[in-house]
Amino acid sequence: MNLHYVVKELYYQRRRTNISVLGLSVGIALFIILNALSLAYREAARAPLKEIGADITVQRPGNVPQELTGAVFPCSAVTIRQEEITKIEKIPGIIGTGKAVLVWVFDPHRAWIVLGIERDNPIGPAILRAFVTEGRFLEDGKSEALIEAGYAQQFGIKVGDNISVAGRSFPIVGLVDASRAPKIAVANLYLPLKDAQAIAVSSRPLQSVSPFAPGDVNLLFIKADQQQIISAAAAMKGILGAKAVIATPESFLKLLGSLFALSDKFTLAASLIAMLIAILIAFKTMAGNISERAREIGVMKAVGWTQQNVTMQLLMESVIQCFAAGLLGILIAIVVAFGLSFMTVNIPIPWEMSPTPHFLPGGGVQLYKTLRLPVDIPLKLAAFALLLSVLIGGITGALLGRHISKIKPSEVLRHE
Amino acid sequence: MNNADILMGANLSKKYGSLEVVKDVSLTVKEGEFVSLVGKSGCGKTTLLSLLSGLERPTKGQVILNGKEITGASEEELALFRRNHVGFIFQSFNLIPTLSAWENVALPLFPMKMTHEQRQDRALELLNQMEMGHRTEHLPAALSGGEKQRVAIARALANHPKIVFADEPTGNLDSATGDAIMIILSELHKKQGMTMLMVTHEPELAKTANRVIRMQDGEVLA
Repeated sequence: MNLHYVVKELYYQRRRTNISVLGLSVGIALFIILNALSLAYREAARAPLKEIGADITVQRPGNVPQELTGAVFPCSAVTIRQEEITKIEKIPGIIGTGKAVLVWVFDPHRAWIVLGIERDNPIGPAILRAFVTEGRFLEDGKSEALIEAGYAQQFGIKVGDNISVAGRSFPIVGLVDASRAPKIAVANLYLPLKDAQAIAVSSRPLQSVSPFAPGDVNLLFIKADQQQIISAAAAMKGILGAKAVIATPESFLKLLGSLFALSDKFTLAASLIAMLIAILIAFKTMAGNISERAREIGVMKAVGWTQQNVTMQLLMESVIQCFAAGLLGILIAIVVAFGLSFMTVNIPIPWEMSPTPHFLPGGGVQLYKTLRLPVDIPLKLAAFALLLSVLIGGITGALLGRHISKIKPSEVLRHE
Repeated sequence: MNNADILMGANLSKKYGSLEVVKDVSLTVKEGEFVSLVGKSGCGKTTLLSLLSGLERPTKGQVILNGKEITGASEEELALFRRNHVGFIFQSFNLIPTLSAWENVALPLFPMKMTHEQRQDRALELLNQMEMGHRTEHLPAALSGGEKQRVAIARALANHPKIVFADEPTGNLDSATGDAIMIILSELHKKQGMTMLMVTHEPELAKTANRVIRMQDGEVLA
């Protein structure tokens, strides 16, 4: 193998080199983009959960409250008992849990959507700390409340006011801008978890539908090992029953409905087709190139090149072309990915996860999490595509080289 | 085979299907001899040259080149044998279009364990010898027919061959250029003692050689 000769051959035969490189690079770019899109949809599907610091949310649907007075649970989120939480925490792959209590409180003159939160837990609604626009966040051990800014404005509630909820009084210490906050687990009043639990425990209508003890919750936010999310979710169904609503990135992915989101098999099949087309283009172009050079190869063999010498020469030409095609393919994919990253996706939030009662204004409106498609080309994907490209070059070059190098010099030089 | 014989073909026959192109030919070439093989087109002289040089296998018979019986050698052994002992000059030059003049000369040296500089030095030395020192970096497309053949002759000499096989070396050249090429080949033989077997269909050119072997219908004429 003579690198000098390889480079000159590729340089002076620019037309055929360019055709080979371009053909293969389009296939490589397609392969990268298909996989990047699939990854982007997966990443987008993670967004609604990620923004509350979780990988999984857990709810248990139950019966509709018999009467809408006092504190009741939404029918989409009834009691998850403390012992069930303990079992869930022991499932392999569970890294941490965040707990919350969501109650609807129908006081005589006002309805509240109350969310009880763990103020120091980064998993779950305590992430709202970042959206306090006035006043301060909840302090440890104090029975106080945060109020959603829009709700506060609607009813003229200010920081420093005292409000009464389910017969309990809470000072308002801060305003939260929920419009910027995660779509999941929003409310119009945020209390310390213990206070919300106390409201639930003492509510007769709530207890009559879903018995609730101190320490129980009705919303669980779970951080899990990415590789074990699916198995952990299945295990949770085993603990909470088949009707439990376990929201995972996979379940959001299904809601997205895109072909890329729906099926790994589609991405795999499309990638394989893209690569197959690329391989065929590379093979056909290189086969054409090599057969054009039969005479040249005959001369090489006549002057003493062995079959191995010729094969190595053609193999190296092919590998270099395919390496260049791989690099170009990555470059094309980066440009296309940049263009695609301006696309937006609307991820529907399931009604079960909407905290607003459907019979209240805005309660029946489908919620969406809208975000720009996070199309990114991971280094590993680019490296794999490059490796694949070189591998195609190697196999193509070796097969064609081996075939053409068997040529007998007399056969091609005889017909002068 | 005499000690002085560098090439011996014994009872060589070559058939393509039912067509016998070379018929029971025997000949020897002595070291330092310039032999021309002359005959009309299609008489089998190029096929005979291919058999004698190891480019093609005979249907029958034996070739001993530089003391080695080559008819039973494998393709790889033959390639290595040609690399080390044989030079070729073709009618249509057969230069690699993407390589410069010096690189074409160095083509037989590419598979050898040599440095780039060593290859280049050898190629430039031969091109200077062929009075082509001013055209070393030119691609074949930029060379005239005569210049191409000079490069091809230099390539044939790159590996210090024991024998050079030339197949119609002036066939694609005008008469003046052909004469110049014949002078070069003649000089190679006379000054460097190069053994040469040249195929030509022109009796006048054949006379340049020490010995002329005539062929007709695949047979060597007495």
